[in-house]
Amino acid sequence: MVSSVANARTRLLAGSRGRLLNGTLFALIAIALIILATKVATLGPAYFIQIVVYGLANGSIFALIALGYTMVYGIVELINFAHGDVFTLGGFISLWLLPIFGITEGGNVTGAGLILPLLAILILSMVVCAVVNVTIERVAYRPLRHAPRLTPLITAVGMSFVLEGIMFLWRGPFNLHYPNVLPATSIELGGANGPAIGFKDVAVIVIAVVLMVALTLFVERTKLGKAMRATAQDKDAAELMGIDINRTIAATFFIGALLAGAGGMIFGLYYNTITFDQGFTAGLVAFTAAVFGGIGNIQGAALGGLVIGMIQSLSDGYFDTAWTQVLIFAILVLVLVFRPTGILGMRVPEK
Amino acid sequence: MQKRWLSMASVLTAIALVAAACGGGGTSGTTSTPGASGSGAAATTAAATTGEIIIASDLPTSGADASSGLPTQNGVAFALSQTTSYKGIKFTFKPFDDTVNGVHDPQKGAQNVQQMLSDPKVVAMVGPFNSNVARAEIPIANGGQLAMMSPSNTNECLTQTFPYCDPQPAALRPTGKNNYFRIAAPDTVQGPAMADYILNTLKLTKVAVFSDNETFGKGVADNFVKRLQAKGGTLTNRSDFDWKTTNDFKPFINAAKAAGAQAIYAGATSATKACIVRSQMSGILDVPFTGPDGIGDDQCLKDSGSNTANMFFTNAAGDAAQNPDAASTVAAFKQAYPKASDLGAYTFPAYDCAFILIDAVKRAIDAAGGKVPTRQQVIDAVQSTSGLKGTVGTYAFDANGDPKSATMAFWASKGTPAAWVFQSQFSVQ
Repeated sequence: MVSSVANARTRLLAGSRGRLLNGTLFALIAIALIILATKVATLGPAYFIQIVVYGLANGSIFALIALGYTMVYGIVELINFAHGDVFTLGGFISLWLLPIFGITEGGNVTGAGLILPLLAILILSMVVCAVVNVTIERVAYRPLRHAPRLTPLITAVGMSFVLEGIMFLWRGPFNLHYPNVLPATSIELGGANGPAIGFKDVAVIVIAVVLMVALTLFVERTKLGKAMRATAQDKDAAELMGIDINRTIAATFFIGALLAGAGGMIFGLYYNTITFDQGFTAGLVAFTAAVFGGIGNIQGAALGGLVIGMIQSLSDGYFDTAWTQVLIFAILVLVLVFRPTGILGMRVPEK
Repeated sequence: MQKRWLSMASVLTAIALVAAACGGGGTSGTTSTPGASGSGAAATTAAATTGEIIIASDLPTSGADASSGLPTQNGVAFALSQTTSYKGIKFTFKPFDDTVNGVHDPQKGAQNVQQMLSDPKVVAMVGPFNSNVARAEIPIANGGQLAMMSPSNTNECLTQTFPYCDPQPAALRPTGKNNYFRIAAPDTVQGPAMADYILNTLKLTKVAVFSDNETFGKGVADNFVKRLQAKGGTLTNRSDFDWKTTNDFKPFINAAKAAGAQAIYAGATSATKACIVRSQMSGILDVPFTGPDGIGDDQCLKDSGSNTANMFFTNAAGDAAQNPDAASTVAAFKQAYPKASDLGAYTFPAYDCAFILIDAVKRAIDAAGGKVPTRQQVIDAVQSTSGLKGTVGTYAFDANGDPKSATMAFWASKGTPAAWVFQSQFSVQ
């Protein structure tokens, strides 16, 4: 697979049209960088730091979703289209749980009284999403494990629509308001006009980093993590070595959805809005992040998420939101043309 | 491997074929419509003996738009419950909903109008609510000579010719005759009105502007900016969002803060995330949040979370509560529709729309000698409306279908829990 992509690249580069395309993309990005540099210089460092903080927070959320894509792809080579909607589900479940745990906007609970229920809601939402994702795997993907590759891809698209439909029926098509419960306090660097690092920004980044470190430790240090890596490398050999393939794959879906569920709740807390179909765009961007960093590669997905989040914030902050998608995908095309395996390289063996 | 590619290719071909077949079906459906409306026109004479006419409405009454669409529909339904027949001809109300996946949809609106045209009893319609829906509906209704009366469309390009209009109003009217009327003041009034309000009443000069990039939102924001700059105000920064994919408005808010914005103007509606921006402003930028009539509903107050203070909107129609002559109608409406959410900013404008149509249909029935009038006769009767007193205005129409005089009102959010409170209104000639 990789070699055929590389061949295609050689052919593309040999063709004059390919060269023209790459030249245009290079020019576009070079112009964008020059404009960015001048704008950063004129708008000052305070604004720049502020935008970078938003970029990190944005990127953390994308990274959490991207990890689920990359893990599932690494182990069964399936693009789990329903993953984006599992992420949305995390937001919906936590929105439903908030009032049950007595947390409302403008309520006067603070400190441990606020943090502990929020943590409980976070864990509950994560577990519900994980159970849903494992069920999806059991119902829609496992029976098709030996079917042509297109078949589980279509059932994945189907599960995505089923989940969206359920959330549509549950809460309707509105942009739902997600309570703004995290304290609005912020650390102001350099006075009132300096950049402000909000509690929310810090919370998002910290939760994401903790979860990602935990995931890396899990995959590298535990027995199940070892089984996952073995299954990703060679399913048949792993099975011969006595690894329960079905259990390992289910565990992968479980862990991927834990992260997506957490991402869904963090998304709500951070942006204060969720919609039943937000998983489609968010999932697409996160999948892009996974490919960007090298699909199947956990560090790559985290890095890809951060890079895309950062590009998005810089573009939103210094150019215009209309340019954001263009820039993200122009950079993606360039990276993939020169490194078809993503920044950090795929962790999928050649077949 | 090669076999797999072959089978994949065949699957793709099959998909393409099916899609082509569907597309073909769609096209033949549209081409058959003139035929359908033709037979509808032929059947109009047959309907004369049954003695029933229908006044339809096309409004977004489900999903995110329902909070403004349903109260508007209530106004139409209430007007038709007051007049049920004239000279033995029965008046019936038939509501249509133009939402798809919860958001107003121009194509769905166009389909609804097709459906109205196929029913010979339908002689006029109230609506639509949204300007982009109107743009899709006017040409179709125009082909079938169906009178349209909108309580809330404000985009100026629907009726008036400006160099920047695309399409031009004439292109929306293939028959060359006008069939579209509205009672709302156009955005050439609504945007500038808020600019004046910010400069003169709130006494602020630096404003950051964003829009949802839709026909209405972008148009009203453009008109706001033009007036603001003409009157000595400063535009600090502007963003036109793709509201469907944008959730992070913080970079825009920070750019506004960095440029020293003293107020924000939203060229958007609550269905297009206008008030999510208000929610995300908390803790970053604490300045007044202003917008057009599209943010004047409960959804916006909900979306703003705990950040509801200091919000203002313009309503392109007057407030019925300010008109002493309308007191008995308002009281009767509140008895028939007791819930607070039944009454919205466009309930009585919509009531007036239905009232104008009913009045016009009555005169058209007289002109047709006591029989069911043709659709063109109804249009002619609407055009000749003059000095008709409704609950929020006195109506007459110019050749473009615009009201000869309109009212613009200012509302502000007050109290806890927050509610929209009428501030002031002025008349536009």
